[in-house]
Amino acid sequence: MSADPPALACSGLTIRFGDFVALQDVTLTLGRYRIHAVCGQNGAGKTSFARACAGLIGSATGTVEIASRPLRIGHVAAAREAGVELVHQSFALPPSFTVAEAMEFGLSGSTGAIFFRRTLNRRWAKHLKALGVEAKPKDRIRDLPVETQQAVEIARALAGDARLLILDEPTAVLAPGAVDALFARLRRLRDSGVTIIIILHKVREVLAIADTVTVLRGGRLVDGPTEATEVTAESLARSIIGAAAIAAEAPEDQAALVGASIPRGTHAQPAAAVTAPLLSIAGAATAKTGDGPALRQIDLSVGAGEILGIAGVEGNGQQPLVQAIAGLIPLTAGRLTLDGTDITAMPLAERRRRGLRIIPFERNTEGLSLSSALWENWAARGLLGHSALSLINPAKLRAEARAAFTTWDVRFETVNQPARSLSGGNAQKVILSREIDEAARLIILAQPTRGLDIGATAFVWHAMREARKRGLGLILISSDLDELFDISDRVIVLQGGSIAGDFTAPYDLHAVGTAMVGSAAA
Amino acid sequence: MKAASLTVLRAIAFVLLALILCGVIFEAAGFSALDMFSSILGGAFLADGALIQDLRWACPLFVSAAGVLVAFRCGYFNVGTQGQFYLGAIGAAVVVALLPGLPGPLVILLALLLGIAFGALWAFWPGWLRIRSGTDEVITTLMGNFIAGLLLIWITSGWLKDPAGSGQVTASRPVPAAMRISDSSGVSPTILGITLLVAIGIWVLMNRTAFGVLGSLAGRNPVMVTWQGARLSRLGLGAFLISGGTAGLAGAMEVLGPDGRLVSGFSPEHGFTAVLIALVANLSVSGTVIVALFFGGLASASLFLPVIAGLPAAAIDMVNAAIALFITARAWPRRLGGVRR
Amino acid sequence: MISLVVAVLREATPMIYVAMAGMLAQRAGVWNLGLEGLMITGACAGVVITERVGSVLAGVAGAVLFSVLLSVLLWVVIEKLRANPIIAGLGLTGLGLSGTDLAIQAIYGSEAAVTAPAGIPTLGPAYGILGVLDVLVLLMPFTVLALWVLLRRTRFGLRLAACGEHPFAARSVGADPGRMRLLALVLGGVLAGLGGADLSLGGLQIFSINMTAGRGFMAFAAVIFGAAHPLGTTLAVLFFSLVEYLGIKAQLVFGENAPRDFILMLPYLATVLGIWISARLRGGAVVNSAELRDS
Repeated sequence: MSADPPALACSGLTIRFGDFVALQDVTLTLGRYRIHAVCGQNGAGKTSFARACAGLIGSATGTVEIASRPLRIGHVAAAREAGVELVHQSFALPPSFTVAEAMEFGLSGSTGAIFFRRTLNRRWAKHLKALGVEAKPKDRIRDLPVETQQAVEIARALAGDARLLILDEPTAVLAPGAVDALFARLRRLRDSGVTIIIILHKVREVLAIADTVTVLRGGRLVDGPTEATEVTAESLARSIIGAAAIAAEAPEDQAALVGASIPRGTHAQPAAAVTAPLLSIAGAATAKTGDGPALRQIDLSVGAGEILGIAGVEGNGQQPLVQAIAGLIPLTAGRLTLDGTDITAMPLAERRRRGLRIIPFERNTEGLSLSSALWENWAARGLLGHSALSLINPAKLRAEARAAFTTWDVRFETVNQPARSLSGGNAQKVILSREIDEAARLIILAQPTRGLDIGATAFVWHAMREARKRGLGLILISSDLDELFDISDRVIVLQGGSIAGDFTAPYDLHAVGTAMVGSAAA
Repeated sequence: MKAASLTVLRAIAFVLLALILCGVIFEAAGFSALDMFSSILGGAFLADGALIQDLRWACPLFVSAAGVLVAFRCGYFNVGTQGQFYLGAIGAAVVVALLPGLPGPLVILLALLLGIAFGALWAFWPGWLRIRSGTDEVITTLMGNFIAGLLLIWITSGWLKDPAGSGQVTASRPVPAAMRISDSSGVSPTILGITLLVAIGIWVLMNRTAFGVLGSLAGRNPVMVTWQGARLSRLGLGAFLISGGTAGLAGAMEVLGPDGRLVSGFSPEHGFTAVLIALVANLSVSGTVIVALFFGGLASASLFLPVIAGLPAAAIDMVNAAIALFITARAWPRRLGGVRR
Repeated sequence: MISLVVAVLREATPMIYVAMAGMLAQRAGVWNLGLEGLMITGACAGVVITERVGSVLAGVAGAVLFSVLLSVLLWVVIEKLRANPIIAGLGLTGLGLSGTDLAIQAIYGSEAAVTAPAGIPTLGPAYGILGVLDVLVLLMPFTVLALWVLLRRTRFGLRLAACGEHPFAARSVGADPGRMRLLALVLGGVLAGLGGADLSLGGLQIFSINMTAGRGFMAFAAVIFGAAHPLGTTLAVLFFSLVEYLGIKAQLVFGENAPRDFILMLPYLATVLGIWISARLRGGAVVNSAELRDS
């Protein structure tokens, strides 16, 4: 095999977005017919690297060669012509398309030929079956569970003549069992002659799948490609984190941050809920919405000084649950009680007045208005207490925002700058400074560390533990089991809109993973 | 500060770009672009009495534009200003026709109030449809303009028709002098006072109330304020009613002021120009004052042009349209020393 | 009955061509509110060029040419200068309305209606009541069908839809959303030009200022009502035209007793009704906020 030209060779690859350097001078050669892991924490430049190789970034400089042939930078068609296919982290399939349409629209070549639906469906049914994907050509993308969407996207990538398959964080959305299935599929692909680059950020997963390991940090290549046999969990964790000290309060935090070993929740403090439930949900149900399945018979309670973790594959009712607690969608049955008061019929503003706080799933759309000034984003909550026409004093609000940001260690220049100008970690601190205030009683944190680097993640965890110390109740919704196990005092699993399991420390990954996929896959 | 001056510079640059486009079209149509622009400028700002004429048009335009900026800032494309303006005018004319015996100031007050109410009503239904069922407000408000235009024709050629009137354009009976708020010059302490009051009111509303800050946030990102517990439906309906109300007020001002009666199809470009003013001013209240003076000049020039320079008034409409085409542009073309990417 | 069908077809055809233009743009992700401007430009260019050159073919070609030019201008403003498509579209409409007004005055010295010496060829009296149908009316069903095939049964159509629905997905398979939008707008320009020409050259062979009277906006509403589907959009236009026809019919029957101005309102009311129904069926708000659309 050594006679073969390398699958990918890049030299001096640099990517700039305005002043921000996402990738700097990366020179790298990856051999054929192997599984190459590219890992690093969030913000290390992994996704930029993957997209540049697939021709999606026009501003990239340097050279990329596929099988010793230079690739035109920033030209997707050229990259696909050379056999490079990229599977995105949040899949790039139009939700209204059927599976067959989604497979068809990406094919290169003549686009004018007329097709018939029946032949189209038949052709793609065959292809999907050959790859073992359980989706029918007539299914709509938006109706498929995430793991099937991912399988469809991989199938789409393999529809042409793919020789180099790049997967961007494919495990982030999967249940533990599905990760194993994905890895088995990738090994089969490798053995059939496809070179694979897989972007990962968990040490454990890297060691499980990779033939070679490459580490990026802060946009630079810090290590690799190294044969996986020469890498240990400790050495890999060190090179992912770098020299920067992490404020790890619990011994397990560091391992949880890089996904080295599975935390078992050794410092969980369960049983607080039973004595004094802050929030209790009894027999709650909702109708099906565009964001997820209908909730059925949800019973849960969170006590003062407790962190309740909610696990589940994305799209299994997490969004409806948060929306129902917020009062943004109505309950069709059941009751919500906050601090002894029935809040089932109250609007969100009233619930917030009673101490409910929410850090919603999407930081950049639900959490912040990116084009609005920082102080406006911060002041939004306080303004709701007043009637619409009551007079306000912007200077005072600005001063208050400035003080809050300073307390929360937000790095900012002025309170008038738009929220867009902040990094992910800083933006999350702005939200924390708004939501975790003196009057807060119960805080819901939905995916609070998604996309954050290790330092910012540790900051959020610290903030959650501080809030617990103050006697607040917290609900943490996350698709990262390491995070859930490390932080939560209890973990419940949502599956198909129902509670599929209730776990206390020490947590059993296998049991939680089984609950996440439900009976269908058991 | 730097960002603010950049915004102003960009607005000016795109207005110039629009003028160049118009110049090319004028030349192609066989007019001299230079002559045309100098006549427009002269007619608008330099000729005898031009400034009074400018104010006469700028005042109602500002009042409407102030409402437009409220709706746009809250994220609603209420482009039904023309229809709301007509309804306001109808409201004022109805009060004048129904209550001939009452003292003038009282009639004026009631006429202005009914004008506001009618204008708000004409914004209410598109607002309601938008907020309750997500019906696109651009279409509904545009259709509202056409319907309001027909209502105006119907009422001026029917119930309110002036029997003494003749010619193609129908109109109501003249408003009695005691119920006028200005003579035909359109500039009077009352009109200036109302305009000033609207300016102050809208400024305070947008900059010093919870409505203004939340509304502006909601305009940029309605999802975020929903998660904060704001009731978008209330904010949104408020924005629609305010913008409709101001347009209605502007219509009433025209009837009781310079026009002195209700004429079918009057000021056909009022609504579009008011939207344009708010956009050129980047939806800032103080900016709207200045920009309204500029467009007031253009509006008065459109009356001068045919008479003095023998040029079609459509030239001014074209200048306005070209400005609308470009004014919301956010970027320079990359070739001209692009900003990013 | 046949006379009803003929009258509705006659009235609907120009709007259908224009609505097809709006539909192409909509699918590619552009809200084209410039349709009214494209239509009036096509109508004006058609009559004026026919009158000057004496050839209907030249008139129709001119209508298409001007409409395409304006469409490209709109593309540059939206795509390259990143202007708000709604405002830019309204600006283009204003440009069309005032530009045609100016052109008529520049060429003929007054705002009076212009008559073309000839119109688009019709079937002729030999076909009786069907005789008033012109070539563009007869071609209309085939155009709609061809567009349906193009959009729903080719990879090009899928890619165009992807550009509108999920531009990143389109980019990552190698399609260039900007270029696809240009293509959609240019093709739409051709159709809108034909629609405009059919409005003026198809019936009375007259162009008068503001003669579109909101038909371009109604065509846009038909796109929304018809969910940007070729057949749905066509049906929506036919519905609007039917309402208009029934109004005119009522006026003929009831004469002076029929409130003329209210009858003229019917198509506009039908338009509001149409997009209200489609909003209810879609069951959700359109996201109009630029910030959310960008992300």
